[in-house]
Amino acid sequence: MHDDHGGHGHPNYFLVFAALCGFTVMSILADVITLPSYGVKVVVVLAVATSKALCVMSWFMHLKYERGWKYVLLAPTTILALGLPLALTPDIGEKYYTLDVPQVDDFAEASAHAAEHGPHAEMPAESGTHVEAK
Amino acid sequence: MSHSPSHGSVVPPIKMGLAIPNSKLCLWLFLGTEIMFFTAFIGTYIVLRLGSKGWPTNPDVTHIKVFWGGLNTFVLILSSYFVVVAHEAMNQHNFAKAQKFLQMTFALAVVFLGIKSYEYYGKIDHDILPGRIAENDYQAKKKVLSESEKMVSNRLTGLVKQLNSLKVEYAKPEPANDQAKLRAVIQDAVGKLKATNSPSLADYEGFVEMDKAFGEMKQAILAEQITASEVGKKLSDLQANAQWGSYFKSVHAPHPILYGNIFASCYFIMTGFHAIHVVIGMILFVIVLKQGSDLDGKWTDFVENSGLYWHFVDLVWIFLFPLLYIL
Repeated sequence: MHDDHGGHGHPNYFLVFAALCGFTVMSILADVITLPSYGVKVVVVLAVATSKALCVMSWFMHLKYERGWKYVLLAPTTILALGLPLALTPDIGEKYYTLDVPQVDDFAEASAHAAEHGPHAEMPAESGTHVEAK
Repeated sequence: MSHSPSHGSVVPPIKMGLAIPNSKLCLWLFLGTEIMFFTAFIGTYIVLRLGSKGWPTNPDVTHIKVFWGGLNTFVLILSSYFVVVAHEAMNQHNFAKAQKFLQMTFALAVVFLGIKSYEYYGKIDHDILPGRIAENDYQAKKKVLSESEKMVSNRLTGLVKQLNSLKVEYAKPEPANDQAKLRAVIQDAVGKLKATNSPSLADYEGFVEMDKAFGEMKQAILAEQITASEVGKKLSDLQANAQWGSYFKSVHAPHPILYGNIFASCYFIMTGFHAIHVVIGMILFVIVLKQGSDLDGKWTDFVENSGLYWHFVDLVWIFLFPLLYIL
């Protein structure tokens, strides 16, 4: 994505913009069409988002043309940014709602209801659960 | 290797630091902190979602429509393109072109916030707000009850106050908000208004009828005799009443959303902070646009830095869109 005008080189920004639009359409298509599984959808959609982010960072933010300082500056912040979710995942990410909160029982009931009456009944109004609202 | 200065030769001063303007370095350091700021929210959202057994994803339940999210993505991408063209124009000393593209960027930011406001309105209208969502049948019924009770109480207080202007005498209840005593005042007032054939009589009789209908629903909910969907039907019947049904319009129908509160918290904190960043970006553009015809090469770094910040705002949305609207 490089365009030379009179020896003064700069990226072809319109091409980057067009690519970003194309990626956005791909994201929406991933939502509209039926993919083999939810996992495939997650991978496709996040891969498209990462590609878009790389386009913006590389060409719009000129990181492709910046020197080595970009790594020194961005590596620590990236490591710290990933640190939080990675640190929380084993604890909260795997068992946020403990067994004695109402959502867990209600969800089990709703799932059973959905299995019996079809997917549109996933949030039934008549769960019959008696939990005191705060 | 070092050079010792000698007479007759000019030694260029040693340039310390990076070969980029200090302002740009500062901006990038700031963006480094911003990456951590938003990753904290996005990471927390992912962790909470993974940790919850369920998550509301049905657009009819969450009122998150992929069309509006997609449109806003396009708006931000286009604005990013415009801001980069504006910076290029600054480099070419074409300040009029830079102004024009910054104006269009600003206009797109307004469009983005407009669409976001419309989306927020939908959620506020349906009371999809953190801490206000009923997550199960029981909570949904209790919510209808508390909202209806508040509405009836307000109407009751209003009608009692209105008696002063109607010149109807009554004994002020003690304490002033005693609902049973206020109801007794209304009952007494109906008799007095009937005797004077007051045109306001219909309002007071209407309240008595409305209060009776509400009382039946309240009784059924408290005795746990009806399900949430039956409460919804009863509420629709109340709302359909020609005389006083409009008072129940503000009461939300019982629609329990499992894991709805944690979902709403994540949605509003992420999109809310993103919207604040959009507003800050708009302020930066206004500072440049205010220069008008005085805009010159001195502003090139400022426009570049504002543009970098704006691209970051776009970058955050690039991840929020799939995470909130598609997955």
